[in-house]
Amino acid sequence: MSEKIYALLLRLYPSRFRAEYGGDALQLFRDRARDERGFFPTLRLWFDLLADFAISVPSEYFHAQPAFIVSSVRPHLDGTPSFFLLENESPRLGALLFGSVLSLLAIATVSVLNGHGASYRPLSALVAQSHPKAARSSAPGRLPRRSADSEQRILASRQPTNTANALIEGDAEPGSSQSSFLLMLRRFGLVKPQALQPGPESVARTTVESVILDPAERHRVIDGVIANLRKHYIDQDAARKMADELLAHEKRGDDDAVTDGEAFAGLLTRQMRNVSPDRHLALIYSQDPLPQNPTGPTAEELARYWEAMKQQNCTFEKVEILPGNIGYLKLNSFPDPSLCRPIAMAAMASLNHADVIVFDLRDNRGGEPAMVALLAAYLFDHPEYWYNPRENTTQQSWTFSPVPGNRLADKPVYVLTSARTFSGAEQFCYDLKMLKRATLVGETTGGAAHSGVFHRIDDHFGMGIPETRPINPYAKTDWAETGVEPDVKVKAADALETALKLAQTKLHKN
Amino acid sequence: MPKRKLHPLPSAAFQILLSLAGEDLHGYGIMRQVADQTDGRMRLGPGTLYSSIQTLLEEKFIEEVDLREDPKLGHERRRYYRLTAAGRKLARAEADRLADLLRVARAKKILRGDYV
Repeated sequence: MSEKIYALLLRLYPSRFRAEYGGDALQLFRDRARDERGFFPTLRLWFDLLADFAISVPSEYFHAQPAFIVSSVRPHLDGTPSFFLLENESPRLGALLFGSVLSLLAIATVSVLNGHGASYRPLSALVAQSHPKAARSSAPGRLPRRSADSEQRILASRQPTNTANALIEGDAEPGSSQSSFLLMLRRFGLVKPQALQPGPESVARTTVESVILDPAERHRVIDGVIANLRKHYIDQDAARKMADELLAHEKRGDDDAVTDGEAFAGLLTRQMRNVSPDRHLALIYSQDPLPQNPTGPTAEELARYWEAMKQQNCTFEKVEILPGNIGYLKLNSFPDPSLCRPIAMAAMASLNHADVIVFDLRDNRGGEPAMVALLAAYLFDHPEYWYNPRENTTQQSWTFSPVPGNRLADKPVYVLTSARTFSGAEQFCYDLKMLKRATLVGETTGGAAHSGVFHRIDDHFGMGIPETRPINPYAKTDWAETGVEPDVKVKAADALETALKLAQTKLHKN
Repeated sequence: MPKRKLHPLPSAAFQILLSLAGEDLHGYGIMRQVADQTDGRMRLGPGTLYSSIQTLLEEKFIEEVDLREDPKLGHERRRYYRLTAAGRKLARAEADRLADLLRVARAKKILRGDYV
């Protein structure tokens, strides 16, 4: 019995000591136990042993680090790094097995966390999210995603209502992860259904049937439209005429048949444009309640946006040189240059020696006009007027060309487009096309010019009203609603192949 | 790496060296010999004993002889240790040092009698 206790206590020593002297120590204990019988000798034996433990265990650990087995490796040679070995034998099979299981677990944990990290949201953010605020400015890539979403939902003039899903496909929709999280909480009884304000989705579901326009409601919307036109529209004369027109239609009962919000918004938009053919002027209907009190993005939202940008390499998804020295850049938004300028510059610099540049904007949802201009600057050897329908002519309207050290100014440029190419990305396409600086390959773009400023009328109606009238040097209209037509029309999926063929043909000709 | 020090020589190590001066001993033999030569004052526990032995082996002051049975203690084979020439020299140097100390102590009339 006492021997077993002592054997257990021996495990306190470092393994090397145990391996070398454990058996001997146990033997010594047996010898003493055999020789020193009786109460007092046994007591003395254990006193000795415990005192011995107290002194020698710490000292063994202090000295436990084994000597380096220096002889088995060559000594340092002029600063060449070399290894010192601690053990001569290879580790035991059990240790190897345990080590590999532990590493596998660690790798699996990291990859699982990587996969799920994106959808993780702290509860505070969740609650904040149920009181959506939207920002007034106008491009998907320039703001934290949530604001960008609501903004896209509102401002995309082509599909004003059923946009939430269509516009954000491919992106992780924060709303969906939020509702699944809420569902989970409810399922576990952690949150009562009414404890948190329901997200936009569930509201939409409950209000789809409830929004049926009656005459009073229609009148209220028309009043709101007229008030906003009088207050914000650049052409006050036209605003008055439009107001008269709207009221006249209402009086004649032209609107009576319409009880559906989307149809009503379309009807009023047409009535206004009959007076003033302005593509940026639109009444927009949203099934989801429109956010109140639009404000700019909060610091927290900005921090989240910056973090997301860092993780996604500022949406510069691919930068590579393809066979034939064709530089290929896949860019999925035009991110804020204050954060992403270094990455953008590095990307362009790595393509500097290419003979052709292919910009792949097929998944590009737009972003900061400043980034659009920044990238465009590489394609010119002199400052070029850079049309931006959202702003009056300012300093930003000129590209900062030439870019020092840049060799791309005279290289052929191909831009790949799809129906999902949006907003700022369309500006890039449109201006390069108008300047005859690029060949557009792919599909007609989405048609979101986002040049109106959004004004909320009520929970479901709002209107985009242009407050500025920038000078378009190329044509009377921009790409709002119509999109940018490609030079070479092919399916988006085939655009890269087609562009590469075109580029190679062009290179061989030269 | 902190290295075990034999300078100054710990008393346990010195006692082990002394115990091996007469004959080769195994661990328990050393322990008993040390207890004998100190009148039972120093009973080396297994941890102290073997860590001292390890250090002395590393510094080549003692060496392992072979595995053999101790006829008095049954049929278990035991490791025997022997003092090396260097170990004997070290023990002598330590004894000289102590003798010097004794001389001083005697000259200062701290130590009475002259039996040492």
